[in-house]
Amino acid sequence: MEKKATSPGRRQFLKTAALSACGALCAASPVQAQTSGEILRVWSCGGLAEAMMPANVAFEAAHGVKVAYTGAFAAALGKSLLGSATADVFAGRVLDLAKKLRQSGKMASFMPLCFTRYVLVTPKGNPAGIQNVMDMARPGVRVVLAPEASPPGGAAALKILEKAGILEAAQKNAVTMGSCVQRTMDDILSGRGDVSIVEYRVTKLPAFTGRMEVVNIDEGLFPPPPMTFTVGVMTSAVNKPLAEAYVRYLTSPEGQAAFEQHGFVPAFSEKGRQLVEKYGVKDV
Amino acid sequence: MSESAMAESGVAGRLRVLRRRLVQVVGAAVLGQWSLYGVLRCPFVVPYVSCQNCPVITCHGRLVSMYWGFWLLLPLSAVVAGRAFCGWACPGGLAVQLLGKFAPFGRKWGSALIRVAGAGKYLALVVGLFVFYAMGQPRADVPIRIGGFFESVALTFEHANLLWLVRSAVVLGFLALGLLAAGAWCRFACPTGGVLEAVKGLSFLKVFKTSACNGCGKCTRVCEMVTRPEEVNCTNCGDCLDSCPVGAIGFGRKPREK
Repeated sequence: MEKKATSPGRRQFLKTAALSACGALCAASPVQAQTSGEILRVWSCGGLAEAMMPANVAFEAAHGVKVAYTGAFAAALGKSLLGSATADVFAGRVLDLAKKLRQSGKMASFMPLCFTRYVLVTPKGNPAGIQNVMDMARPGVRVVLAPEASPPGGAAALKILEKAGILEAAQKNAVTMGSCVQRTMDDILSGRGDVSIVEYRVTKLPAFTGRMEVVNIDEGLFPPPPMTFTVGVMTSAVNKPLAEAYVRYLTSPEGQAAFEQHGFVPAFSEKGRQLVEKYGVKDV
Repeated sequence: MSESAMAESGVAGRLRVLRRRLVQVVGAAVLGQWSLYGVLRCPFVVPYVSCQNCPVITCHGRLVSMYWGFWLLLPLSAVVAGRAFCGWACPGGLAVQLLGKFAPFGRKWGSALIRVAGAGKYLALVVGLFVFYAMGQPRADVPIRIGGFFESVALTFEHANLLWLVRSAVVLGFLALGLLAAGAWCRFACPTGGVLEAVKGLSFLKVFKTSACNGCGKCTRVCEMVTRPEEVNCTNCGDCLDSCPVGAIGFGRKPREK
């Protein structure tokens, strides 16, 4: 049988791929961890993730420990914690969940961490001239809603419209009735819609920051809780003093700054203290 | 073929497989994390397609360059070399092929059952399209936005709804089936493989067989997809290039034969 010649192109491709792989593997040398080997297991509401990550890095650097962080839908994590799952610290969104964890003996103590707030978002330049919530009922304004979005996103927006007395009119103006807040933002960025209601923190996500106009909503129209985020030490904490130090860090001026930067109202600010009183964020 | 020629082709064949494995390892290094997330942590029913809207922030599918790079290069690879992605770069393909080394069944080429089962990947494709377009690509699980991999996988399974559990059970079931029937997932169930299979006839380059083929089946015996060049499930992997005793297999543009 005649020996088949492999084309130079294919051979060259294989050599290049092999060299690229070696290069990639060499470049990806692991970073030396400067930690004591101790691990702090922190769970939080997924909405806090962008703020928690830099806070975790700072805490790791200051204490020489590793923070094993999980961020996801707080109600789901809470359900797991009320079952057999364990963590050292839990920062959840719903005040009632924190109270339930305390009452069931799963959480040793909790503190207010921060609050969310709602805003109107419009495309750059605010082409429809949106000034307040009432404008969402104006004929011809293209409203973007996401009633099916996971809580509190979609339902909260509907509640605000209901409190403003324009739910029906705004729904008539809806060009999108979606199921995802992030897709809502895409509709606004692309100009398919003129206005939507989102949490202010969403406008601070890297994908959206600075790419739209933000109009404040009168606080009187805000929906009932969940507006509050709390942070607490779990009774299952392996190293309770370390978990308490972490909570202290998150509620310190430095820790609170991370939450403010990512669109939350820090609990330990003048505004935050008013909200603590308003929503009764007290340990049970 | 003389004994020395046979020995030479055996060495060349092993080198060929080794080179392909190396490329597959590179593929796994680049796409492996995304691949695993898609199966075990993606909250959507159809994974790998809604990544830019997904809240799981640690998944590599959220990287714009990774996501768009993959979805632009995949059709390009199909135009150039048919189903070559499956045999050369897919991390799932690598896993399936390695599992297939232990498989005692599924290597009987051309059996009626195997032919019927091969339509499964088109069925999977139709179901995927239905879920995406008709059902609106539902999010059927709680996205674990960030967290240790195994802990997050456990939470993902704990909070999944039925639809998510069914799709994951099908994928993992077919992967496990690969321990019994060689290449089960790639040959019978992969929807991406189904798309590539459907369009591979249009590719510029391919592993082909000429009319000199006498149907001895030696190429099938070295093939991890248990097929022959140009036939169903051929991924242009090239493992068979040195296996043909009559030199009927080649790679490139298929020569015209009278």
